[in-house]
Amino acid sequence: MNLILRAQVAAAAHDIVPHWPLESFIAVNPLASHETRPFETATTPGVVLTRSRDAYLADVERGRIVDADLEAALAERVPELAGHLTLGGKTASAVGVAVLDMKSTSWSSPAATAPSAPWLDEYLAAWVSSYLNPDPLWAMPHTQRGFYQAWRILARRDPSLPRTVRRTAAELPAEPDAALAWALVKLGVAAESVTETLRTELHYLPGWVGQIKWRAEKIGDIDLLSYLSVRLTVRAVLGLSLSPSSPTPPVADEAPPTLRHRAEHVARSIGGSRVDREEIAAVIRVLATHPVADHALTWQKAYELHYRAALVHSVRDTDPFTPRPHLQLVMCIDPRSEGIRRHLENLPEAETFGFAGFFGVPVRFSRYLARGAVNSLPALLTPRHHLTEHPTDSAKAKDHVMRGRSRDALRQSTHQADSGTGTPFAFAEVTGWLYGAISVLRTLTPTLQARIQRFLTPSTATLPSNVTITDSFTLEERAAMAETAVRMMGVTQFAPLVVLAGHGSESVNNLYQSALDCGACGGNPGGANARASAAIFNDPDVRALLVPRGIVIPSDSFFIAAEHNTVTDAVTLLDRHLIPESHVDAAGTFDRAQRTAAGLLLRERARDLPGASPRSPGRVQGRAHDWAEVYPELGLAGNAAMIIGPRQMTRGVNLDRRVFLHSYQAELDLEGAALETIMTAPLVVAQWINHQYYFSALNPASLGAGTKTIHNAIGTIGVLAGHTGDLRRGLPWQSVGLGDRLFHEPMRLTVIIQAPLDSIGRIVSRNQVLRNLLDNDWITLTARNDPAAAWHRYTPYGWTAASPPLKGT
Amino acid sequence: MNNLTQMTRLEVVVPARDAPAIRELITSAGATGYTSVSGVSGIGHHGQHSGALLFNEYDTLTMLITVLPPDNAGELIDAVGVLLSTSSGVMFVSETYVSRPEYFQ
Repeated sequence: MNLILRAQVAAAAHDIVPHWPLESFIAVNPLASHETRPFETATTPGVVLTRSRDAYLADVERGRIVDADLEAALAERVPELAGHLTLGGKTASAVGVAVLDMKSTSWSSPAATAPSAPWLDEYLAAWVSSYLNPDPLWAMPHTQRGFYQAWRILARRDPSLPRTVRRTAAELPAEPDAALAWALVKLGVAAESVTETLRTELHYLPGWVGQIKWRAEKIGDIDLLSYLSVRLTVRAVLGLSLSPSSPTPPVADEAPPTLRHRAEHVARSIGGSRVDREEIAAVIRVLATHPVADHALTWQKAYELHYRAALVHSVRDTDPFTPRPHLQLVMCIDPRSEGIRRHLENLPEAETFGFAGFFGVPVRFSRYLARGAVNSLPALLTPRHHLTEHPTDSAKAKDHVMRGRSRDALRQSTHQADSGTGTPFAFAEVTGWLYGAISVLRTLTPTLQARIQRFLTPSTATLPSNVTITDSFTLEERAAMAETAVRMMGVTQFAPLVVLAGHGSESVNNLYQSALDCGACGGNPGGANARASAAIFNDPDVRALLVPRGIVIPSDSFFIAAEHNTVTDAVTLLDRHLIPESHVDAAGTFDRAQRTAAGLLLRERARDLPGASPRSPGRVQGRAHDWAEVYPELGLAGNAAMIIGPRQMTRGVNLDRRVFLHSYQAELDLEGAALETIMTAPLVVAQWINHQYYFSALNPASLGAGTKTIHNAIGTIGVLAGHTGDLRRGLPWQSVGLGDRLFHEPMRLTVIIQAPLDSIGRIVSRNQVLRNLLDNDWITLTARNDPAAAWHRYTPYGWTAASPPLKGT
Repeated sequence: MNNLTQMTRLEVVVPARDAPAIRELITSAGATGYTSVSGVSGIGHHGQHSGALLFNEYDTLTMLITVLPPDNAGELIDAVGVLLSTSSGVMFVSETYVSRPEYFQ
């Protein structure tokens, strides 16, 4: 075993971002490895960081970017721009001169490009795909020996390789370490260049490489050492020369104008023909501080500042909720929750909160007697507690399970007949009429077909059951989780009915279903976590432990779980059998209120949803069952900001479902522990999601998954565009755009916090993840001590007053 | 020394996301075990690190400790050095003594 070579492989793979499989789609920043450096230096070949100049100029035309935004952006990015100039007898500010230059100087950014697919990439992609495919028609032999050895054995019979190469394959070293070392020698790679050579090779097939890195850590059936062994060995035996140090970046087709040319143009457009050489020289000195290469990021900053200014301006300071509310609703921080919360708050006695959608209960959840389990917790955590459910009527549950198993057996046998070598024709002859009729029904009346299917295939999930929370956590752990949730949200009083609503999406024929579920629950619906949390809060022993900690939950307060369906906007109460008689009326009131809120939200969403009309909300709901629908919902498209503070800041404000809302009361968190948890977990998850959308929108070919319409699934691992090639990363185009137009506005996350600035500063100082994100401009932070205080902007050098630039709208 | 056997002790502190690679090297080097301490705090080249975070194990630091015979330690030390040359983290190497050497061979 060659330890040094293994270390070189690990070093070469250090910057590779693991790519989660489709079944638990985790939004990640595809350029996360660059977060230790300034955002503007995160350039990668074929990847763009901003939109085009034409797009920004179009924003100027429609007032989406105004001069004040550009001035504010320049003030942030080029603080040395100050003072005034006299040009042809007219006075102009240095910032104004730079703004004029930005508007008049053209630049062309390299276009985002699709990665190339030379023969070697295609060859490797086919082998990796065959090796990892969990449900192939013909299983690849020898997979139990590992990727390299399986390839080595089979390559001897691979007709796509020349005969001489096949003979050589038989003589290759048996172990991947030895094979890689042999290939590096054969290719003439010097010892000091090994890591860099391996890093370059890992730039190709980034989708598969990211997936292999994930599997190596989570599953262990393949690793990058064996992948590189095959890749380099094929290169060596075929005599393919090594790749250039990195894939060739596209070159801008237009050279930027010279500094003098820019200065003359700006000076003359202000001072006319009377400007002299000294005045032009003064303009040159101003413009030299803001080279053309920096213009794109300044435009982007202005684009973001415009939104931030409007958002901060919209923050209100309504009075706290003083009377005891009749109803409290706790929902995920997901921006989609904002809409339902806003509409439900039309009920004056209702109070709502935002909290991470796993409700602070990190579990691995499996349904009653289910075969598998899902990690229903943030990707930042490792699952340590298993949660399941016990039906209240075990006889009925067993009956459901038996019927479910019979259905599975039937499905399995039809799948075998459908995918066998000789059976498909006979199978189609016998069952074609039935499947044809079902297909017609499914196409023309998807909602009816879904109802029929639900009736015919009852699930154990619909049976009354209780989650096994006492088996999963000790009493002390449960009390600690309850205390943490209360302190993080800043809850001071409890309503008679407290609804904890997770969320999940419902769609069919959608490979990216998981991307629409709850990110805080590892790309799964959050109902199980909500049920567990409600069970914890209703536990009298937990409540008793909370009392000495200053948290008194009245005996008449009952917690109930719910799940928000983000396609239909129904918020369905779960575990209804647990509702005591005393709270049945309150639950009924909630049901009516949520139906009204859902109706309003559906009409609101229909205005943005492609092909939908506010006049037909039923059709929007019907998308949950429509197998031809590529836009079941818009997910988190538009996400742009996160607000951490009391709901009084935003109650009554239409945030357009673009803001992550985490409730927080600084007065109840004097040591800042709750704020630190919010800033190091929910904020980080929000940033991952935000950057996933950002880069998928700007780079649909390389960092996004492209259009859904040509996707082919590799089991539940991922998708290919077409039948071969690299595994696609990121979000499909239908998550961010329509036609050739983006409906997601790519903006880096604006974070707004209401808490003492020194407390925030201390938290940032002691957490490298926050320092990286904030100091390197991957996200921005604006904060105020309390409702009466002025807004301040975080900078690496301290807080600075945010008011002047934020008045720019 | 009191029937103790000399061994080499490696302590490596790295971001939690880099810990799997170090663990893989340790096991590949033939070490019979290691101790992993997650959420370690302190101040270093990259500034302050707060330690364990309630809902984030990914962005914390992990300390991995392993003990192995001096003859086997050299290659592992070199390999960890290669890995640390491109990422953040520190490695401490020291002599240590164990009472049951067979556990470490």
